[in-house]
Amino acid sequence: MNTRDLVLISLFAAIVVVLGLIPPITLGFIPVPITAQSMGVMLAGCILGAKRGALALLLFLLLVAIGLPVLSGGRGGLAVFAGPSGGFILGWVVATFVTGLIAQRFVREGQAELGQFVGFFLASVVGGIVVLYAIGMPWVSAVTGTPFLTVATGSLAFLPGDLLKAAIATLAARAVFAGYPLLPVRA
Amino acid sequence: MLTSLHIEGNSWLHRLPVRAKLFALVALSILLFLSGSLLIQLTAFVISGGLYLSVGLTFREALKRVGFVFFTIFFLAAVNLFLLPLNEVAVLTLRLMALVLFAAAVTATTTIGAFMDEITVLLTPFERLGWVRAADVSLALGLVLRFVPDIFARYQAIQEAHRARGLPVRPLTIIGPLIILTLKDADTIAAAIDARGFRRQ
Repeated sequence: MNTRDLVLISLFAAIVVVLGLIPPITLGFIPVPITAQSMGVMLAGCILGAKRGALALLLFLLLVAIGLPVLSGGRGGLAVFAGPSGGFILGWVVATFVTGLIAQRFVREGQAELGQFVGFFLASVVGGIVVLYAIGMPWVSAVTGTPFLTVATGSLAFLPGDLLKAAIATLAARAVFAGYPLLPVRA
Repeated sequence: MLTSLHIEGNSWLHRLPVRAKLFALVALSILLFLSGSLLIQLTAFVISGGLYLSVGLTFREALKRVGFVFFTIFFLAAVNLFLLPLNEVAVLTLRLMALVLFAAAVTATTTIGAFMDEITVLLTPFERLGWVRAADVSLALGLVLRFVPDIFARYQAIQEAHRARGLPVRPLTIIGPLIILTLKDADTIAAAIDARGFRRQ
């Protein structure tokens, strides 16, 4: 890995920390508050690509594990991994990797703008929502004993917020792609 | 902004090597997940709770640290009450609370330095395979700690710029500039690191 990649990974992990300091937004029509930090998965994948994005989130989780309160709301430490939502947090790394893979596959420079939007949105939804839920929901069910279907139904409350996050991440990723492209080009 | 959750102290748990604590945490989770006995879970809960409260945190601070995770646990326990037998709900809830308390105790009694030393040891096999360099991981962690205050200051500057122009402060219009401005520094920082020969390349 060259030094530039190392620095990009570190800076992105730091951005995810700062996103956790932004106060969460509450919207009337969505039951759960939206934290900017959980957008980190979609943004890292869409902006840095699969490998560097996943490493940025892994570095972020390392900060959490060694006892820095960097998760939104000032949470941190090993306790968050031991809790019911540990799967959602550990799943960030895989989710970012998948987001990055899809973004790298579908988004190119010189492509029509609409195509880039569609590519980033698809990557954010599949990686940041489908893959993340596929890891997080069975984890909750296994750890708390709550039947999987109940967990899945309950998770639907988070879906509108996550779709909105995917939309915001898409617009932001596309702005960064236009201003300062970093996404690895497809071989 | 980035103060560690470690608490100064000289309790029994403070003096234990970090490897032993992590091993104990893994062993405890395996034991508690294999056992369905209410008595074992209750014992583990009492011991973990006792350990956690004995590390030198005030009760308020101790509660604040695990409060959010406990909220999730209680919420799911309340849902479980309608779906599972009472005995099972008690076992599941006590198990999770015991593990969370023990994990919080490990976090509170271990310094970042001790964790880093342990990570360096754990990375040795991967280093032999040529996958990762432990020194790079330390450098990356150092860079994050170094740049979080800068990035936060930048976030506030962009927020001010929004206000100055009478624009609503929305994540959508902040995140793009924040990321571009931050990542644009990558080349300069990388050049500075290489010029000093930190990575011996």
